[in-house]
Amino acid sequence: MTGADGGRIDDATIVIRDGVYDSVVAKAPPPAGARVIDAAGRTVTPGLMNADTHLGLVEVASLEETRDYAASGGPLGAAFDVEYALNPNSLLLPVALADGLTRAATSPTASSDPAFLGMGAVLRIQPGAETLDRAKAAMYASVGGLEIKQNGGSRSAQWQLMRNAFAEAKTYAPPKSGAGAPRDQVQNVLNIAALHAMLEARMPLAVRAARESDIRQAVALADDYRLPLIVLGGAEAWRCADLLAAHKAAVVLDPEANLPWTFDELGARSDSAALLARAGVTIAFSVSGNTIYLSHNAGVAAREGAGLAVADGLPYAQALQALTVNPARIFGIADHYGSMARGLDADLVVWNGDPLEPASAPDVVFVRGVQASRITRQTLLRDRYAPQHAQDRWPPAYRP
Amino acid sequence: MKLAALLLVFALGAPLAQAGARDDEGKSHVARGRGGAGNALPWKRDPFPSTYRPLPRQDTLIVGATVLDGAGHRFEHANLLLRDGKIVALSTRAIPEPAGATTIDAKGRWVTPGIIDVHSHDGDFAAPFTSLDAENSDVSEGSDPITPNVWAEHSIAVQDPSFARARAGGVTTLQILPGSSNLIGGRSVVLKNVPATTVQAMKFPGAPYGVKFACGENPKYTYGEKGRFPSSRMGNVAGMRAAFIEAAEYRSKWLDYVAGHGKRPDDDLKKDTLAGILDGDIRTHWHCYRADDMATLFDVAKEAHFHIDAFHHAVEAYKIPQLFVANHTCAVVWSDWWGYKMEAFDGIRENAAFVDAAGACVTMHSDSPWLGQRLTLEAGKALAAGRRAGLAIAPEHAITWVTLNPAKVLGLDAQTGSLEAGKNADVVVWSGDPFSVYTKADQVFIDGALVYDRADPKRQPRSDFELGEPSMAK
Repeated sequence: MTGADGGRIDDATIVIRDGVYDSVVAKAPPPAGARVIDAAGRTVTPGLMNADTHLGLVEVASLEETRDYAASGGPLGAAFDVEYALNPNSLLLPVALADGLTRAATSPTASSDPAFLGMGAVLRIQPGAETLDRAKAAMYASVGGLEIKQNGGSRSAQWQLMRNAFAEAKTYAPPKSGAGAPRDQVQNVLNIAALHAMLEARMPLAVRAARESDIRQAVALADDYRLPLIVLGGAEAWRCADLLAAHKAAVVLDPEANLPWTFDELGARSDSAALLARAGVTIAFSVSGNTIYLSHNAGVAAREGAGLAVADGLPYAQALQALTVNPARIFGIADHYGSMARGLDADLVVWNGDPLEPASAPDVVFVRGVQASRITRQTLLRDRYAPQHAQDRWPPAYRP
Repeated sequence: MKLAALLLVFALGAPLAQAGARDDEGKSHVARGRGGAGNALPWKRDPFPSTYRPLPRQDTLIVGATVLDGAGHRFEHANLLLRDGKIVALSTRAIPEPAGATTIDAKGRWVTPGIIDVHSHDGDFAAPFTSLDAENSDVSEGSDPITPNVWAEHSIAVQDPSFARARAGGVTTLQILPGSSNLIGGRSVVLKNVPATTVQAMKFPGAPYGVKFACGENPKYTYGEKGRFPSSRMGNVAGMRAAFIEAAEYRSKWLDYVAGHGKRPDDDLKKDTLAGILDGDIRTHWHCYRADDMATLFDVAKEAHFHIDAFHHAVEAYKIPQLFVANHTCAVVWSDWWGYKMEAFDGIRENAAFVDAAGACVTMHSDSPWLGQRLTLEAGKALAAGRRAGLAIAPEHAITWVTLNPAKVLGLDAQTGSLEAGKNADVVVWSGDPFSVYTKADQVFIDGALVYDRADPKRQPRSDFELGEPSMAK
């Protein structure tokens, strides 16, 4: 399954050369001198992408010294940029990779100047220090919900302050040396410079919102400043699916979020993915799982979410696109990742079953043409405590 | 969702007596349980009796299904007869359709017992979660670390839409637990997953109560942060031991009193619950993660003479499976939760399979209104991890992790949990393999009543809370 336009090729020969896809052709002989992996009878997909995680920014969620996704003090609002914290040695990355995830958007959750949260990044999940795929991939904001108290006390205040920030940023000129920031502005110089750069670059605006009214406000704001819009969560996005499609907005949704859990999510439903896709909205997935799946199980949970969306009416090929080429386009990396098109990074997974079944697992994972280890801290614990050791007289610490 | 909301722990689950007689003082007395000393013992009372009545039901014959019976067997092209709310027959031979019965053609579909979730907060950590709940949730009594006097049933919001979502996922029985902030969090309640306007009308008649305990991080951080006891793991254990010492003394005084010695002790709601545990009437459910924490608690239980029915979460159960076997304790686990807190750092996906392979009881649980809609998928993920580790696990075995084993954990395996003749007709007809992500519950029966039908909007009950929303039409 090539990831592009729902393409499926049976009995395919996939040729990877110099780290990129060279060709995908039915029944073709392997090139001379190539290393051959026999995947007969098995499904092969591009490496998958989760569209909203904190990968690289967290180790143990309850330990603040291992969390880098929230700027809790200081002047950083929109200017907060998670790229400088990315930890390529995070133990979560091999787990995601062993589940077939080779790319992930990673996002901020809080800044000192809400509703802006700061800027997120895209990771490539591969061994070594070159984890950052794309910095400043989107500017994040969060509106409504249970955080209104911290964000101006009203949804109106949130939207007015965001609009004011953009208005200030639009006319902002970087100060000449020695000159201070313009007077009487709400945004400090760090944040206004970041927003100014965002408007100049047409960086996507990623708004975490659930209620229809907020989603419509987000569309209007993005439209006024001609910014690409990404709706995160979007429990009620289905209520304005046609509007989102008309504005080419994308929705990153959680197919498991079918409860009216808060007053913002009263319209939550199981078949949101199918309804949005049918209306022509570009969708991608992120699964919270009580926040536990979000990063720690970012690979298996995204697949499970996609499978659940299929169970609720999303066509299978579109579910696979929502795990590959859709998030690649949304976050601006489709020029090098997202399908098996010639010249794109050879991120590839050979599956032992249906990739949208969470019980399935990869047999082989490639990132940028390099085969990845599937050893994780969890598989080491598994091997150390496997039942065949039950009679060992030496403690487990003596095992590998 | 706040992390704290995810770290809930349950406590109790012990046998409840049926409605008791009332004396002139209005106190209900129940002559049940091992105490034998009878109806004067305060912890034998049943002040909030079940008023559950089965919903209108029809005898039903399900034909041609792949059946996982919950007792470890698999039958192909099997037929199942439900009559008067009970399982009457399960056979691969034809069963004549009784007069007046409804026949369901289940060819190509799968049938299992109703799913049982032994760790739910539906109703006591209810949707909608509001800003006021964020301040003071109904799931934990936050004023003291030792609250065996509180009962989860007094927090239940019966209009929580989570019950209906769980029902659509095949869940017919739930244990609702208090949260895990406290060393002793309070009594659980076991519910039939039927729509109702009172919690009493959902209570599983005769189900033992349980008590929720918590070890490890939650109690020590909850109270240590406030400068209160306990602020350490050793404080946690000291608090539990002291509570049981006091309860044993209280129980002795009451037993002396009913034997005609001494004056009548004062009633004590806290000690009543723990005395019920010491009597064996009330079951114990322990929120614990680490192997060393759980091993310590096994010793505490021996010292204080009670039984640990289940460790919940138990992410390191795979390190000490032999202790679960030796203590006849069930490991109540997730398939893959890990890493969200320090004591969950060593979670592995083979946890259920490794504990099962050692011969101990394993049960999957949710602790989440989302995961609680997919417990068979949880079992399927745990099964798959075990197979990848080289263990042979059959579907008819893995289904016991969400049916008969949780029934045993609740002390209800004589009534539900398998499709054996005489048991309650708690049954799910699945659209396909229940371990698949694509499978839905087509029909759900509780005591023989069709409480949910995926094909019939009239059998898809909605809570009051969900009324009045603008059109949900597609």
